[in-house]
Amino acid sequence: MANVSRIHRELMQFSKDQSILGMSLMADDDDVRHLTATIPGPTSTPYDGGIFHLDITLPDGYPFDPPKMRFTTKVWHPNISSQTGAICLDILKNNWSPALNLKTALISLQALLSSPEPNDPQDAVVAKQYLGDYATFVATARRWTEDFAKASSANFSGKVHKLVEMGFPEALVKKTLEAVGGDENMALERLCPK
Amino acid sequence: MSLPGNRTRVLCKFFAHGACLKGEHCEFSHDWKDPANNVCTFYQKGACAYGSRCRYDHVKVSQRQASASSSAYPYQFAVSESVNASSASATAVPGLIGELSASSRPYISPAKPAWGEGSGQDDLLNDVIGQSRSTNPADIVMCSFAAAGNCPRGDNCPHVHGDLCPTCRKQCLHPFRPDEREEHRKSCEKKHKHLEALKHSQEIECSVCLERVLSKPTAAERKFGLLSECDHPFCISCIRNWRSSSPTSGMDVNSALRSCPICRKLSYFVIPSVIWYATKDEKQEIVDSYKARLRSIDCRHFDFGNGACPFGTSCFYKHAYRDGRLEEVVLRHLGDEDGQTVIAKDIRWLIGEVGIWGMLRKGYFFKMY
Repeated sequence: MANVSRIHRELMQFSKDQSILGMSLMADDDDVRHLTATIPGPTSTPYDGGIFHLDITLPDGYPFDPPKMRFTTKVWHPNISSQTGAICLDILKNNWSPALNLKTALISLQALLSSPEPNDPQDAVVAKQYLGDYATFVATARRWTEDFAKASSANFSGKVHKLVEMGFPEALVKKTLEAVGGDENMALERLCPK
Repeated sequence: MSLPGNRTRVLCKFFAHGACLKGEHCEFSHDWKDPANNVCTFYQKGACAYGSRCRYDHVKVSQRQASASSSAYPYQFAVSESVNASSASATAVPGLIGELSASSRPYISPAKPAWGEGSGQDDLLNDVIGQSRSTNPADIVMCSFAAAGNCPRGDNCPHVHGDLCPTCRKQCLHPFRPDEREEHRKSCEKKHKHLEALKHSQEIECSVCLERVLSKPTAAERKFGLLSECDHPFCISCIRNWRSSSPTSGMDVNSALRSCPICRKLSYFVIPSVIWYATKDEKQEIVDSYKARLRSIDCRHFDFGNGACPFGTSCFYKHAYRDGRLEEVVLRHLGDEDGQTVIAKDIRWLIGEVGIWGMLRKGYFFKMY
């Protein structure tokens, strides 16, 4: 069983540093082991200005086992799968230590965005482009940031409001919008019962 | 009446229980070779309230022997000493009951002791006062109230008040016993230091569970796990949990699990401790006493020579045979590739690298000379 009191302590500590970091971390109301986080794209990178959403699941062995993290916002990055959002980062795998925590892991992810490791890729296509045609890589990454990371942050609440007015519950709307990377039409498609 | 000098010395019962406050000034023997006196004094006087449940022997001995080795004797001797100068009368019984009354006037004993016939009581007291007249200032007994912190009789107290101990702020230093003073000062300072360290330790948090180690719910958890190579604080359960967790794929046991979660420095063992240290010396002291403690416990792998301990000569536990003989330290020789002999200095390192079964598979043990 995961150490719930440690998770609560981490959340409390995080809320103190939240404003400095510009990140957010929220636990599910019914299960503290399932969290959502947002990290801002680092400045002077193609991800600048974007807000990236993450889905975090804490395994039973936490903090002795690393947290499972996945980007829900689509990202064009050699170490992040462009399809699933899976992350390749050593501290989330075999270099995890129980002295690390969610805050340090999120900071590491932000650092990963600013310094990709194309030689140890998660997404081979992106890595190949990064090494072969850097200009195109930057352009693609910036466009993906514009399309998926910014749109959702700019009028996210507007979209939520619109969908809620259509008669969907707010929590479900937010979750669905996050899952599809802020695309209003895709969210609507998912929300509508088949 | 026999004098203390030519009487056969009887083992001090306080010493036998592990705590005689009089130390070397005790009237009774502190030598285990001397016989213990197990005769019930109350039974001698005709009535022991414990009856068959009494822990002392219910046998009849002659009156004199009984009085010389009375169980109440050490107390009465202790207080009578200071009173005999002013009032050596046999009626002023400065017994234990008198000691407890806080009034400054002399205590008059009840006509009859509550516990028995009391026929031998006056003789006994005369004996005591008679033989204890002494001029040696080191034999003066101090006021126990003052030594415990506060004497209600203050300046009117008939007993000698000790000098103030600078550390514990109690009047417990005997003015004429230099050895005892020094001993008290040392133990008092040590105790004080321990308390300070304990106070400091209260604040220390475990870096894994983020809780104060000494505020954890169960007593077993309120312990630090010291790493031999670095100074990062963890609670014993967290660090043991981490070190024993099963490595996930690609995880190297030595670089991940055996290393400090914070600085990743490799430590081979964890030392449990109830206090957190402030200096290197204090840490060394904790480590040394831990190792000394383990060395007194028989190794269950070695099993008195019947088994084999994978840690060999670097095992912390005792490797002794049933007859008490210790295992001889034999250097382990391994053959290397060139057929040369190398001495396996650190057998544990080798085991850590390939595992004991790996060593067996690779034939390490069969190559031994």
